[in-house]
Amino acid sequence: MYDTRFVGGSVPRPDAPDKAAGKALYIHDLIRPGMLYGKIKFSDHAHARIIHIDTSRAERLAGVRAVVTGYNTPEIRIGFIKDNFALKKGKVRQYRDEVAAVAAVDPDVAQEAVDLIRVEYEELPGVFDPEEAMAEGAPLVHETDPRGRPKVDNMVPVPWKFEAGDLESAKRSAAFIAEGRYETPLIQQSCMGTAGCIAEFDLQNNLIIHTKTQIPFLAQNDFNQALAAMGLRGKRTRVIVPTLGGSFGTGLDTHGYEYIAILLAYKSGRPVKIVLTREEEFTALSPRQPTRTHIIQGCDAAGRLAFREVRMLLDNGAYTSWGATTPSVMMLPISSLYRVPNVFYEAKIVYTNNTYCQAMRGYGNPQAAWALECNIDQLAETAGIDPYEFRQRNANVPDEITPMGLQITTCGLDRCLDTVAEKLDWKRKRGKGGARGVGMASLFHVGGSGRVYRSDGTGVIMKLDDFGCVSVLAGGVEMGQGFISALSLTAAEALGVTPDRVSVLTGDTATCPWDVGTHASRGAFTAGNAAIMAARKAREQIFQLASEHFMPRVHANLKRRRKRDPDFELPDFNYERLCDPSEFELRENVVFLKEEPENPMLRVPLEEILRAAHYKEQGTMIVTEAFYDPCNQMLDARTCRGNMSATYIFGTQGAEVEVDTETGRVRILKFVAAHDVGRVINQQTIKGQIYGGVVQGLGYALCEEYKSREGRNLNPNFLDYKILSAPDLDFPIEIECIETHDLEGPFGAKGVGEPGLVATAPAVANAVYDAVGVRITDLPITPEKVLAALKRKKERP
Amino acid sequence: MKKTIRFVLNGYEVTAEVAAHKMLLEVLREGFQLTGAKEGCGQGECGACTVLVDGLSVNSCLYPILEVEGRSVTTVEGLLGEGNRLHPIQEAMVENGGIQCGFCTPGIVMSAKALLDEIPLPDEARIRRGIGGHLCRCTGYVQIVESIRRAAEKMAAQGERDS
Amino acid sequence: MKGFDYFQPGRLEEAYGLMETLGAEAGYIAGGTDILVRMKQKIIAPPALISLRRIEELARMGRDRGLLLGSMTPLRALEKSEEIAASYPCLSQAVGSLANPQIRNVATVGGNLCNAAPSADCAPPLMVLGATLTIGGPGGERTLPVEDFFEGPGRTVLRREEILTGIAIPERVPGTGSAFLKLGRVSQDIAVINAAALVIMEGGVCRTCRLAVGAVAPTPLRLRGVERLVEGRRPDPELLAEVERGVRGEVNPITDVRSTEEYRREVSGVLLRRALEQAVRDVR
Repeated sequence: MYDTRFVGGSVPRPDAPDKAAGKALYIHDLIRPGMLYGKIKFSDHAHARIIHIDTSRAERLAGVRAVVTGYNTPEIRIGFIKDNFALKKGKVRQYRDEVAAVAAVDPDVAQEAVDLIRVEYEELPGVFDPEEAMAEGAPLVHETDPRGRPKVDNMVPVPWKFEAGDLESAKRSAAFIAEGRYETPLIQQSCMGTAGCIAEFDLQNNLIIHTKTQIPFLAQNDFNQALAAMGLRGKRTRVIVPTLGGSFGTGLDTHGYEYIAILLAYKSGRPVKIVLTREEEFTALSPRQPTRTHIIQGCDAAGRLAFREVRMLLDNGAYTSWGATTPSVMMLPISSLYRVPNVFYEAKIVYTNNTYCQAMRGYGNPQAAWALECNIDQLAETAGIDPYEFRQRNANVPDEITPMGLQITTCGLDRCLDTVAEKLDWKRKRGKGGARGVGMASLFHVGGSGRVYRSDGTGVIMKLDDFGCVSVLAGGVEMGQGFISALSLTAAEALGVTPDRVSVLTGDTATCPWDVGTHASRGAFTAGNAAIMAARKAREQIFQLASEHFMPRVHANLKRRRKRDPDFELPDFNYERLCDPSEFELRENVVFLKEEPENPMLRVPLEEILRAAHYKEQGTMIVTEAFYDPCNQMLDARTCRGNMSATYIFGTQGAEVEVDTETGRVRILKFVAAHDVGRVINQQTIKGQIYGGVVQGLGYALCEEYKSREGRNLNPNFLDYKILSAPDLDFPIEIECIETHDLEGPFGAKGVGEPGLVATAPAVANAVYDAVGVRITDLPITPEKVLAALKRKKERP
Repeated sequence: MKKTIRFVLNGYEVTAEVAAHKMLLEVLREGFQLTGAKEGCGQGECGACTVLVDGLSVNSCLYPILEVEGRSVTTVEGLLGEGNRLHPIQEAMVENGGIQCGFCTPGIVMSAKALLDEIPLPDEARIRRGIGGHLCRCTGYVQIVESIRRAAEKMAAQGERDS
Repeated sequence: MKGFDYFQPGRLEEAYGLMETLGAEAGYIAGGTDILVRMKQKIIAPPALISLRRIEELARMGRDRGLLLGSMTPLRALEKSEEIAASYPCLSQAVGSLANPQIRNVATVGGNLCNAAPSADCAPPLMVLGATLTIGGPGGERTLPVEDFFEGPGRTVLRREEILTGIAIPERVPGTGSAFLKLGRVSQDIAVINAAALVIMEGGVCRTCRLAVGAVAPTPLRLRGVERLVEGRRPDPELLAEVERGVRGEVNPITDVRSTEEYRREVSGVLLRRALEQAVRDVR
């Protein structure tokens, strides 16, 4: 445990006042001189051959400055297996395919020009169901793979398989077995600020792009590749991230619209801004991966988990983005939530003509938790054990190594379970009928970053000025989660200054140090650790300077004092004394001697030391840096084993619900979330993260669904894509942060960004089952499904 | 069709030449460079564009610009006092964790102002209904509701001291 | 959104005249919270809009053996009205459930009816309250019961130049109770089903019963068959069960992005039964 002054408190976020005043600048608010407005023409079909694109009328429209298609621009491939293109040629494979784009002097003209573009298509049969897509003779979404080799099926070449122990013998000897099939729908991240960018070139043809991203440095690499494809090899990209109106995973990949803005900017020689409308945000960004899961779990007579078998089918959509890698995270709870020796997990990913999927908060974990935690309740019931008791019996323990090779350090799962049970009054309320019930579900997630790329690193630069202020330049991104707040507290704590002296600067690849991306709940964890490392170096340098300047400054200050107060007697210090750096301490902006911490005469403000170092012959300054790359491992591609994260996070959530058996409506009466967070950095922001996660999770549980018919989205607006609003939250949400003080984390903290929504839906479903005895297996748990299930139960009890 | 309109904007008389089909939000953001009100959906579902017209909260994305002729419009920028002094509602949002990404914040602040101007000490349910026209994806609303409750208490106490 | 002209007449005659001059594609706009959305979604693109907001006589609330509502009365005014809350609770409840404060500050009761959404929240309560609509046009005025106003989704009996000018709600008689209930996917939503009930009771017997339901047919629906079941009887469990079944027989719902046909049919019965029960409890 660390003794801290600022970490662990409850303080306002440094970025809040500007946001409260409406002064924070989002991409929507940015204007560059001479800027044009870009607009994209999307496909009219889910699957069709492009016969001809006629842009002539758009080109002739007054105010239009550039028109691009796949036929008049260089081919730019995007996505991690490069099966996607910035602008489509030959054929379209989904409604959101970009076939052309314009840049014009104002948004109305751009829209009018796009409407004047005529595209002639030959429609092709599409495939919209992942199982149908796997059937023989299904239409091929891609006729060739990214290398041009013919494809014979719709399988995405990113298979996932994990095996541990002996599944078959475990199955034979299990005392109880429960089986279930679970589904999750497409859902949309629904950032309040839609996505967008402004691309421009300087006169050396280097690219500057302001864009909404969580991965400024990986995006820089993507855009550099695009420049190379455009014949600008060797030119540089500078990515600048404006204030983000939420991101929730949308910013983990680069998008067609960014490349299109780049093409338009290059062609027009002017800055080009593309901001998606809400409808485009729904139809042209990548939502959360939908899943179909077949799960079987078994336990022995004492209720100890014996095996877990999980087979999943993922609808990839038409192209491959990070959605296809979510099984790497699904695998974590599947292999390691509760102690289970025998595990089989396989995920197949299939191309369809639906919209392609990407990352969203939790990165596959909510889908896995949905199947796992509902099925745990089924198994507990089969075994005749209370599901809370069942979970407690199988709970993970500290220092455990799981079948996947995950090395658990601290683990507060047992305390999370107890807290939820206690707060829900579990023993009294469980199984009492009357259409009321309680349910719980747990989660397991990375808490110490996650090595999904070769590097899991992040950089921090600490720059001290002669006013005793500190600029902390970080590679991570603030998107609302509280990165800046957490980092400023951590940096202040580690350095020995007050947080008001710290400014955190992020989001500019030209000035900020490299970072792999703000994902996997890693921002505060990795940057915090880097800040501690950089602060350590800065303190060494400060104390080095103090050894020379401390006593002379003390002398000068005392002499000044005597000038004001002639009665003051100069104490008998050796003012020429050179101190040893190890004699000093720095706390709350003041350097003092460890031996005499209370002596008011032997205290020198940090800024005086720093100024003395600047203003002297052969002066110096203090700028330190650190690159933190956690002690974790990349998954072995073949065995899917490896200690992906430096530490892991646990949590349990619980719901008390009431079901209206005549309308099928589920009303939440109380919601409880207990999370092992390692250590709280800022009470206020951590609670905000968990509250926000829970409410997103409740939306996933109850009402959110991206509905499509043959690949076309039917609800591209908040009128029909329902996220919860304040009047829906008419019940208490109680949060408990369980502190386990992890040695890997900055001051003991673990990552907390994603877990808030992971266990929410199964907790609700389990409570619904307790209330009325029906198990909804496909999200969301709508009144329609509940009522139909109640009816079926009545007919066939 | 273009027209010149006069209205009061954040306390000042202004005139603007506007195209008839523009919505108030576009004129505020593009014409007056008041970018505090945001376009989150453009269809009156999210509330990010909320401003006050004659003291009532409206979605400025659905408010035809010609309808503001002769009226008084207050945006989030109009709440800021001299020396960047935040309005008590803004202050409470900052102090109580009511802000995360901040995109919905200016709109919610305006709705909260309209609410507290009408009902100085609303109960929690009333606060929830009062901001029912806003979507926030970050906070789960808990700390927003708490912020507004605290602002109301503070303003009421302030009002008592002043009177 | 495509460009359009925008006119703001101060008198009704002026509005009719403008509509005559501007031609078939022009449209009237009330609060605009629906028509502007449809324009932004490119469902419609009128080249000109005639705003009714400056016509003062349309925004008046008054009394004349009952309540007179100008069609341009903002929903907020209805929501705030103590008289409506006391005498016509079903209308008050409907308005309170409709959209959110920002919308209610500009959306109008007339606009809610003229959009003719099958789910219009003001329609069922006005139907059970026995409201009459006044329609003005270049040729003069006509009146009709609110349930005769709707012709289909988005279609009403209004001729092109005509304007819904006022809504008259008869005086509440003693012994009346009314209620409005609504189901949405979330609390702030278009109705998946909405329902209103009004009863006038005499010695425990229901003398008059009016029931209406929305979002379960091409137009908001008056349930006359079920009303006949109720009138002259005591609202006992047996009758309530009959009501539930009766409603299911009268509605004609569809499956759309918001709900399913089966659900709407099944639950409209439940909702109407509950509204009836609540109306009986409301009797004063």
